[in-house]
Amino acid sequence: MRLHEFEAADIFESFGIPVPLRRLVETPEEAKNAALALGFPVMLKAQVLVGGRGLSGGIARAESGAEASVKAQQLLDSSIKGIRVESLLIEKKVEIERELYIAMAVDGFSGKTAAIAGNRGGMSVEAMSQEFPGSLVSELIPPGRALYPYEAQRMFKSLGLNGKVLLAATGSLVRLSKVFVEREAIIAEINPLAVIADGSVSAVDAVLEIDDSAVKRQSGNLPRTGEISSNSLEALGREIGVSYIDLDGDIGIISSGAGLGMATMDIVAQKLRPANFLETGGGITEQLLYNTMDLMMRKEGLRGVLINLYGGINPIHEGAKGVVRYVKEHNITIPIVAKALGNHQEETWRIFEEAGVVVVRSVATEVAVERLAELLRPSE
Amino acid sequence: MSVLIDDKTPVLVQGITGGIGSVQTRWMLEYGTNIVAGVTPGRGGMEVVGIPVFDSVEEAVTATGATASVFFVPSPFVKDAFFETVDAGIKSIVVVPEHIPVHDVMAMRALAEANDVFALGPTTPGILVPGKAKMGIMPSSLFAAGNIGIISRSGTLAYEMAGILSEAGFGQSTVIGMGADPVVLSNLPDILALFEADNETKGIVIVGEVGGAQEETAADYIAEGMTKPVAAYIAGRSAPEGKRMGHAGAIIRGGSGTVASKTDALRQAGATLLTTPIDVLSWADGSIK
Repeated sequence: MRLHEFEAADIFESFGIPVPLRRLVETPEEAKNAALALGFPVMLKAQVLVGGRGLSGGIARAESGAEASVKAQQLLDSSIKGIRVESLLIEKKVEIERELYIAMAVDGFSGKTAAIAGNRGGMSVEAMSQEFPGSLVSELIPPGRALYPYEAQRMFKSLGLNGKVLLAATGSLVRLSKVFVEREAIIAEINPLAVIADGSVSAVDAVLEIDDSAVKRQSGNLPRTGEISSNSLEALGREIGVSYIDLDGDIGIISSGAGLGMATMDIVAQKLRPANFLETGGGITEQLLYNTMDLMMRKEGLRGVLINLYGGINPIHEGAKGVVRYVKEHNITIPIVAKALGNHQEETWRIFEEAGVVVVRSVATEVAVERLAELLRPSE
Repeated sequence: MSVLIDDKTPVLVQGITGGIGSVQTRWMLEYGTNIVAGVTPGRGGMEVVGIPVFDSVEEAVTATGATASVFFVPSPFVKDAFFETVDAGIKSIVVVPEHIPVHDVMAMRALAEANDVFALGPTTPGILVPGKAKMGIMPSSLFAAGNIGIISRSGTLAYEMAGILSEAGFGQSTVIGMGADPVVLSNLPDILALFEADNETKGIVIVGEVGGAQEETAADYIAEGMTKPVAAYIAGRSAPEGKRMGHAGAIIRGGSGTVASKTDALRQAGATLLTTPIDVLSWADGSIK
């Protein structure tokens, strides 16, 4: 779960990382009052979960209450990369002497925690590593613990930092590593970590993504909002318990696993246009596939559906009953092709075929996609 | 010989009394797996499909000599069960459940490495040796005995790849699901090494997907350490960036973990890249016969 900047900033601050004075607002009037209370200049920052927000016009500066009000109105009327701006963070402008970079992340291959530090900041870490490869250092540390201060200091020392800035940057990285471990993050990043004239530092951006599998046991430590999908079908998918990603085609896909779902999407894309990626995981029930059909049919302009299931851990015959119940109740007439193999396959085929769903018995998904393409071809 | 297990390996089932655990235990027994014991805390003394249940792994190992374990334990309890299993001296562990917090998995991985334990998962369908035994949830009907090894990050795509091969008369030596989480308990090169050493395996199919760096890193191992032919299919060619494709690990971030970066690395290492799963048949025709 990716947190909004204002939520991440609150958590960072609670761990002792310096963060600029700030307020969250939802109207131009609130923006003006916040700016007057904080003192000028202020930065107005759209709270949307997209990368490259600054370059997309999501950040503005104001020198007066009136200007804050006007700029807030403009931002609140805008969308950034398709996501409507609904709130702004008003932040007292920090006078930045130089910019640094700090992050903690899961290193998938080693299974360890990666600590990353940079003597530059403000650009994406990918761009930094390409353009200024000497500006970043990283260390892998064992899971379950924060960085020791000497480890963080060693990193910044190797980047050429000294004196008060060295201590301030070291302190922030150690605290960020505590956030990472104690809040079970996938990534925690401050870019840039601003160095101010007196040698202290301030987190002028805050990125924090909590492991989805840990959100439940972390819930007492997390804000209640967090990631909200801007796409209503994706939100509905989450609600019914499937993983749904909206695409711009017209062939619906239902699969019983993520790998199979991706492969099905790729194979459909060779001939037709996938409307979505959808996978049920290992929790298929009659009701789940009924709800899944209901979700699928909300997509406008859908021309056909491909169902691709394996009965390993999933009772696919139960799933077939749910599909068929939906088809009968709603009198669905677009072609539906199903491939379903594994435990209970014969029973599953019988349930589908009795309801007019076309069953493909071959293993290869390519064959099922070809069958659907045939059904969609206008008859000569 | 087969990779990791055969029909003699004494297997323990943890979480055997649950709905999924008991059904899958029956199917594993029917397939020929030598299941000797089950563990569910608080259920010691009962039986599930004729298999004795113990309260702890230590008791089960002492009473039955189990050397491998497969998990159907609810995800919040997996870390503790894993520590218990390693402590009891078991050296092969298959962690089937999904949604295990990644910080737990990192701790499990560190423990496994320190104790020389070979573990698969989480979010894995397990391991199946056609005609002999299986630990996990793979649906038996899709597999046939032969000499192609399969390693897959996804469960369902392992079934698809094996099924396509079986239908065309190409059997498998061993099929392994390595799991689809951001951190897995055994990396792709470690599993490739098992197949390289297995004298029943003539060639290996890797079934990968977008996200992470497993395939890229495996390419180095293939280039340096492998003599057997390798084919690879990577799912997610049409996946949009920044969207998690069902698996926690399957996400393209900042342009890394793409199909292109994986296929480029594997091709340079000498592997045959498959555009679509069914292309595996022409590779098998040329490389395995």
